[in-house]
Amino acid sequence: MRRQLAALLIATAMLAPAACGTTNQPNTPAPPGQPDKVNVGVIAILDVAPIYLGKSKGFFSKRNIDLTLTTAQGGAVIVPGVMGGQFQFGFSNVVSLLLAKEQNLPLKVVCNGNNSTGVDGTDFGSLMVKGDSPIKSASELNGKKVAINTLRNIAETVVRASIRKAGGDPKTVQFVEMPFPNMGAALQSGQVDAAFPVEPFQTAIRGQGGRSIASSWVDAAANLTVATYFTSQQLVSSNPDLVNRFTEAMKESLAYADAHPDEARQIITTYTTITADVVAKLTLPKWPADINRASIEALASQAMTDGLLKQQPDLAALLP
Amino acid sequence: MSQTAVRPNRAGALPTPVLFGAVGVVIAAVTLELVPRLGVVSAIYLPPTSTIARALVEQVQRPEFWLALRDTLVTWGIGLAIAVVAGIVAGVVIGTVPGLRAATASTIEFLRPIPSVALIPLAVLLYGSGIRATLMLVIYASFWQMLVQVLHGIVDVDPVARDTARSYRLSAAAQIRYLIWPTALPYVVTGIRLAASVALILTITGELIIGTPGLGRQIAVSMESNSVPPMYALVVVTGLLGLVANQLFRAIERQVLAWHPSQRRELSEAVSGL
Repeated sequence: MRRQLAALLIATAMLAPAACGTTNQPNTPAPPGQPDKVNVGVIAILDVAPIYLGKSKGFFSKRNIDLTLTTAQGGAVIVPGVMGGQFQFGFSNVVSLLLAKEQNLPLKVVCNGNNSTGVDGTDFGSLMVKGDSPIKSASELNGKKVAINTLRNIAETVVRASIRKAGGDPKTVQFVEMPFPNMGAALQSGQVDAAFPVEPFQTAIRGQGGRSIASSWVDAAANLTVATYFTSQQLVSSNPDLVNRFTEAMKESLAYADAHPDEARQIITTYTTITADVVAKLTLPKWPADINRASIEALASQAMTDGLLKQQPDLAALLP
Repeated sequence: MSQTAVRPNRAGALPTPVLFGAVGVVIAAVTLELVPRLGVVSAIYLPPTSTIARALVEQVQRPEFWLALRDTLVTWGIGLAIAVVAGIVAGVVIGTVPGLRAATASTIEFLRPIPSVALIPLAVLLYGSGIRATLMLVIYASFWQMLVQVLHGIVDVDPVARDTARSYRLSAAAQIRYLIWPTALPYVVTGIRLAASVALILTITGELIIGTPGLGRQIAVSMESNSVPPMYALVVVTGLLGLVANQLFRAIERQVLAWHPSQRRELSEAVSGL
């Protein structure tokens, strides 16, 4: 009898995928003359402005790609979405992808995502303290509490890099996981001594008197590639032509966004709820068309030093 | 219950529970206005009522808001409908087939407390970030509400009535129609009301976390964009949705169960002022 209930539940669970199987799944080439439907999992943040801009400029449609952008809360949704074939491509930070590769997830990076500006003091994220904090440098964070959005991920790696570079000991620092929107309040109330917010929260915290003490993206590596677009090995082998076209369209989008920051700012107001007057004040990331391999190597070796990665990642297999 | 706690106004000039409810809302709104204004909490993180109200007025003028509201209502409605039908069918089968209840009890008690939210990774793996992923959470959570209520309802059948039905050799279908269904109906209606709240919670949760289109996703986007007043405005809308749903299902309950002693008692209490 229990088996019957289980069978009923399993049957219910099977019905829906059967129904979704009827939609055009672009993991196989589209019929001739029809554009490939491509669904990309992104996060509604500044970093992905180029793909929105590229879509509106027709860089994807002219390559026969019918692009849908789906916003998700983060890698926890996007990585399984790409693995399961719901998304053909996804946007993720580099450390998440290195960690996924270490677990032998069959992922392949196809294209650059966004980079640090490379300018110390003017980047889209920084290590911040409240206005009246006595802390002036990352070296003074020994034994202090630092808020980052996700533990054991890219923010922790780059903040540790900042502390090490400034002469502090990152091993003594207590990292606290906290969503970006909470960081300003946590700094003000003294709940944490420092935090690593990115835009638009960096500018918001500055507006409340907060101070940046280090540009952690810059401290981690010169012109660091922070995030990239990736796909599944399965799509790479089943439809290499689509992957190539997506990569080309993405490169054109990145180059265009990097050359036209005003248009990038405008498009940000369409997929976020950041208003035009706020977006004008934010520091945008850089969007080079090509991945900065050296920066990813540097990031990987720091993640190894911190014990986040157990072994030297196979970058040749991960990166294009 | 509020009907018994509040003395009805004998003059009949004002419906007192409504008046008291309105007073409660006003007190809450004034408190929320004062807390940030007095500096107890920074207005940046908790805007006063007036700011939230302005943001709400702005929201209702945007087409995205109405699309999101529609998406939320569709996900909620489909999820609730599937859970209610599945819960009633499974409940009647498990409750009436001899031995089935005992055989499934431990399985149900094991599956029921699993928080739907814990199934998000599975939902995303199976269905991506679309409506199906959130529907899976919604149905999973509200199905148990229904099933358990229906099972309780069936147990409640009067043994004398059951024996009588057997003596008169009513068919299984007739027993379900004339004996089990009327007994279980109040439980079913309560189950639907409870399931509706749970389904709404899980709809918004799925949209927030998975990114299924709807109010929840709008809340998440507002949060990531540091747009605090619109975020609270949307939260208020989700609260209002829950309130409307509860009132709606209570009204249906009164209609459907007008004959039932539980409803008649409430009415008589209200009339006699007990």
